[in-house]
Amino acid sequence: MIDQLRAKWDRASRTYDWTTRSDEFRFGAAKRHLFARMRGRCLMLATGTGHDFQNFPPRLSVTAIDISPGMLDRARERARAYEGRLELARMDARALAFPDQSFDTVVAVCTFCSVPDPVRGLRELRRVLKPDGRLLLFEHVRSRLTPLAIMQDLLTPLTRRFGPDMNRDTVANAERAGFRVVREENVYLDLVKSVEAVPA
Amino acid sequence: MNVSREALQDTAGRSRLRGCAYLLGEYVAGVVTAVATAVPIHALVDRDWDMVVAMLAGTVLGTAAHLVVLALLGPLVGFFHVMAPGAVVGMYGGMLFGMRDSMQAVSRSRAVAVAVAVGVLVVAAVQLYDRALRPEVERGPRRETDS
Repeated sequence: MIDQLRAKWDRASRTYDWTTRSDEFRFGAAKRHLFARMRGRCLMLATGTGHDFQNFPPRLSVTAIDISPGMLDRARERARAYEGRLELARMDARALAFPDQSFDTVVAVCTFCSVPDPVRGLRELRRVLKPDGRLLLFEHVRSRLTPLAIMQDLLTPLTRRFGPDMNRDTVANAERAGFRVVREENVYLDLVKSVEAVPA
Repeated sequence: MNVSREALQDTAGRSRLRGCAYLLGEYVAGVVTAVATAVPIHALVDRDWDMVVAMLAGTVLGTAAHLVVLALLGPLVGFFHVMAPGAVVGMYGGMLFGMRDSMQAVSRSRAVAVAVAVGVLVVAAVQLYDRALRPEVERGPRRETDS
C-alpha cells in the first residue's frame, strides 16, 4: 500500500510543477496569509516539490516531510534557498517519527486529500503538536454546493489513480481527530479552504 | 528608494496583469468547455432520440468534454478555476443541450452561439458566487450533523 502510494507520487513529481504552476500563483497570497501564523518549531507535511517554501515567513525552523523520494529530490534546491533552517525527511504522515508534543506549528497544504486514512494522519499531527500549538491547513474539500459536489464525487475515482481525492471533508476530519477549528476561510468558492485549528 | 518603489510597482502591475489574464482564461475555458460539449451533442442527437436518453448522453458527453478541457487548460488557468465552472457547463449544460437537440432542430452556428453564451454566463455566475463566499468564517466546533 505504502509502496503504491510512494510510486504514485514519484510519478506525479515529474509533472507536478507544470500542472500546479497556475494554482501556485493564484493561491500564493492566501497561503502567505495563512503561513504568517507559523511560529516556533514547525512541521510541514507532504512538502511536494517545495513550492510553498517561498511563501513561508523567514527565519523559522522547519522540518518538511514527504513520502515520495521523487518529490523530495525536487524540493532540495528550494529548501536550500529558504532564509531559515529547513530540513527535509522522507516520512509517512500516518506514522511520524517524532516524540509527542514536538512542534509549535504543523502545516499541511493539499495533503489530506491524499493521505489514505486522513483521521489517523490528523491524530498523528495532534500527537506531535504541543498543547498550545496550531494546525494550519490549506486544503481542497468537498463543496456544499450539490452540483459541484456531485462532480467531485464522479471525478474522485479518476483523480485518485494519479493524484488526490476531490471529495474529502478535511475540516470535519480535523474535528474528528481532536482539533477545534478556530478559523475557516474560503479561498476559492467553498472548494479551497484555509483553516486554523488548535488541539481541542 | 525611488527605484525600488518603481520596481515594486512594476512587479505589482505585472502581477495584476497576470491576475486579469487568469480571469480571462476562466472565460476561455468555460466557453471552450461549452462549445466542446454542444458540438458533439448537436452532431449526435436529433429529434428521433428519446429526450431522457438524449439528456443522459448530453451529460456523459459534457462531462467527458469537461475532463479533456480540464486536462488541457487546468495547468494554464488553474485546476479549480477550470473545474468548478467546467463541471456545471459540461454536466448540466450537456443535459440541457441534449434535451434541446431532441426537441428541436437548430443550426450548428446557433448551437455554438448558445454554448458560448452559456459558457460566459456560468463562469460569471461562479465568479460572483466565489466573491459572495469569500468573507472569513470564524467559528467554534461544528455540529455533528454538518459533517
